Amino acid sequence: MDFEYIIEARDLTYSYEKKDGAPMSLKGVSLGIKPGIRTVILGANGAGKSTLFYHFNGVFKPKSGEVLYRGIPLCYDKEILYQLREDIAVVVQNPDEQIFSSTVEEDVAFGPMNRNLPPDVVESRIRDSLFKVGMEEFRNRPTTQLSYGQKKRVAIAGALAMEPKVLILDEPTAGLDPQMSQEVMELVDQMCMTGTTVIISTHDVDLAYAWADEIHVLRLGHLVYSGKPEEFFEDRDSVALSGLSLPHTFSINHSLEAIRGLPDAPYPRTNSQLLAKLAPSDSDFGRIRIVPVSQDSQIDTDGDVVGVYGFEAKKLFRDRGISADINFNAIEGCCLSAMQGHDTTIYCDQELAATIRYRIGILTMFGHVPEVV
Amino acid sequence: MSDGTIETVDLTYWYSGNDWASLDDVSIKIRKGVKTVILGANGAGKSTLFYHFNGVFKPSAGSVSFNGEVISYRRKALRALRSKVSVVLQNPDDQIFGQTVEEDVAYGPTNLGLDDDEIESRVSRALRLVGLDDLRDRNTLKLSYGQRKRLALAGALAMEPEVLIMDEPTAGLDPQMALELMELAEQLHHSGTTVVISTHDVDLAYAWADEIHVLRRGELIYSGRSEEFYSDPIRVYTTGVMQPSMFLINKSLCDMRGQPEAPYPRTETQLISKMASGPKGRFLIMPVSDRLDKYMVDAAVDEVGGDLAIGLYGAVTRSMLFDSMLPVNYVFDGFESCMSECLMGRDSLLLCDADCVDLILAKMERLKDFGTVVEFKVLDDPHSGSA
Repeated sequence: MDFEYIIEARDLTYSYEKKDGAPMSLKGVSLGIKPGIRTVILGANGAGKSTLFYHFNGVFKPKSGEVLYRGIPLCYDKEILYQLREDIAVVVQNPDEQIFSSTVEEDVAFGPMNRNLPPDVVESRIRDSLFKVGMEEFRNRPTTQLSYGQKKRVAIAGALAMEPKVLILDEPTAGLDPQMSQEVMELVDQMCMTGTTVIISTHDVDLAYAWADEIHVLRLGHLVYSGKPEEFFEDRDSVALSGLSLPHTFSINHSLEAIRGLPDAPYPRTNSQLLAKLAPSDSDFGRIRIVPVSQDSQIDTDGDVVGVYGFEAKKLFRDRGISADINFNAIEGCCLSAMQGHDTTIYCDQELAATIRYRIGILTMFGHVPEVV
Repeated sequence: MSDGTIETVDLTYWYSGNDWASLDDVSIKIRKGVKTVILGANGAGKSTLFYHFNGVFKPSAGSVSFNGEVISYRRKALRALRSKVSVVLQNPDDQIFGQTVEEDVAYGPTNLGLDDDEIESRVSRALRLVGLDDLRDRNTLKLSYGQRKRLALAGALAMEPEVLIMDEPTAGLDPQMALELMELAEQLHHSGTTVVISTHDVDLAYAWADEIHVLRRGELIYSGRSEEFYSDPIRVYTTGVMQPSMFLINKSLCDMRGQPEAPYPRTETQLISKMASGPKGRFLIMPVSDRLDKYMVDAAVDEVGGDLAIGLYGAVTRSMLFDSMLPVNYVFDGFESCMSECLMGRDSLLLCDADCVDLILAKMERLKDFGTVVEFKVLDDPHSGSA
């Protein structure tokens, strides 16, 4: 079956009252999520983001309109919904609403066990997903003894263990400290790079702007925008009415280019892109080396600043007891490091090397950039 | 004689059942009138420290003093302490007990034994500052998270404390609400309250704080100006936080251009001032007396002889917006937004609370350090004479 959108809402309408009496609703929402595209649902509190997500996995049934998965309207038959949720995993904002089992292992195993997968498959799923969220050592820990950030990671592991085609995360970084947020975003990013469609809801405009290929903006239950992030932020009135603010890279770029008499485009979304745009052409940059590694690779740091990206590469560093200089958000971190004049090496998983090269390559759109070897 | 408001000496605290100290030998000085941030990752001990500031927790070892006197844990002394040191908790549900909004805010002042008029005036002022004056009679169970968060703050403001302590004040808030709250914090600071904020949001901490105290697993590892702390990437990394974007952009750009890092921009307009310069617009400031209307804008338009960008600053001014039907460009973050317009060459008008004029002038003065001198004028509210 051919489909343009992996998930689609057509004229979706729904309403209910929350326990604090606030009316929650979606009013005639039509949007399509493209497969493999990094998608953000952006909106203020109460805009309808979670309500929309509960329609994507069939927990809520629309009052009118319909939801389609891979081009086929959802059927709300119990058995079929069950199958749907194998494909579409939702990680809710509050991990306490998602974690029910008494140990980490049991909780992550819950989904795969319910699918009646053979024990060895269940085992490998548990191991694999705990590894990805960095919680292997907590496998036998009671869930009640976990910190908030740990619970959040277990909830994500539970979703990963289903090996979903679509991973939906509601405010994934809310309540996490900066490093843990970056860790979660990196995990999510890697899921995208390896073929999972990831959808995130947030009101964090900086995160949305830096990460999303496409955003859908909700305001009081209405969809007010679908498309590239920069076009939405161009319309300041709409941003203000949606309860949002401008991402800082967007507004710094806008002001500086206005003063220089230049157009806003190309739009930098990250600090490194902004810096590439502003860098003098005689800047003395370091070079960036991309080194894909496998478990038997030699690591020769060679006096470079060292970044590490990817599950396998990080495990390799951990196992060998090597510490990297840049452990989080290393693609951005390594670009910044090279721009500060340091020769920099990024060690990464084999399967991610091409994507990383492409991402760093985007910098050339913006101006003077470090050489990549 | 101590210049500090709150000071701890070798403060150590164990939660019962834990075999590690949640605060370990912490000696910290919160200085009067200094915009202070307590920075640290989740679990670093920020909230535990705050519970010592208002005497909810008693140190396992060491001491806490307020205005030079070691605090006493007798009930009467604690009550007196808490009328001067207000803590706003991260989760408003831990703090809201009244059935209606009004009752909840009145609770503290009533306990202080104030007379009815005073209580009434404090309640209305506090509700106005947080933008809840329309919901005075609302049942507290029927409030949204953002509204509950503001209610908890109103309860603290009604105490008119010397020190206002806010634990993760912007966590869970929308961007606009977060901007509104930080503007209020600035206003309170300006009116003489010592405001202390705990956060792990380094961008927020960097923009706001004059002084930061950094906690790592219960230990105080740094007290002082932000720049010095962020200049050491390894220390930043082991604390579980990141370098603020503004710090990073400035540092990188200055390196590339061979320019000194100082002065350090903390806001976008400071950064832009440092990095580029062009013809500037005029900046008009109008303190608002008791209403907003088009005559005020007309006065400003006459002054510049043309179109201008309009922004608001201050909670009281913002509370008048809805009735005024005035077309305003920047309801939130008005100073920064109007100043950006000026830097891009457009005239702008900032309508502000009457007690905020000095604060705005001080911000403009600060911009001079970054190379921006803007032609400005403080206009009279055309209504102010008529009263």
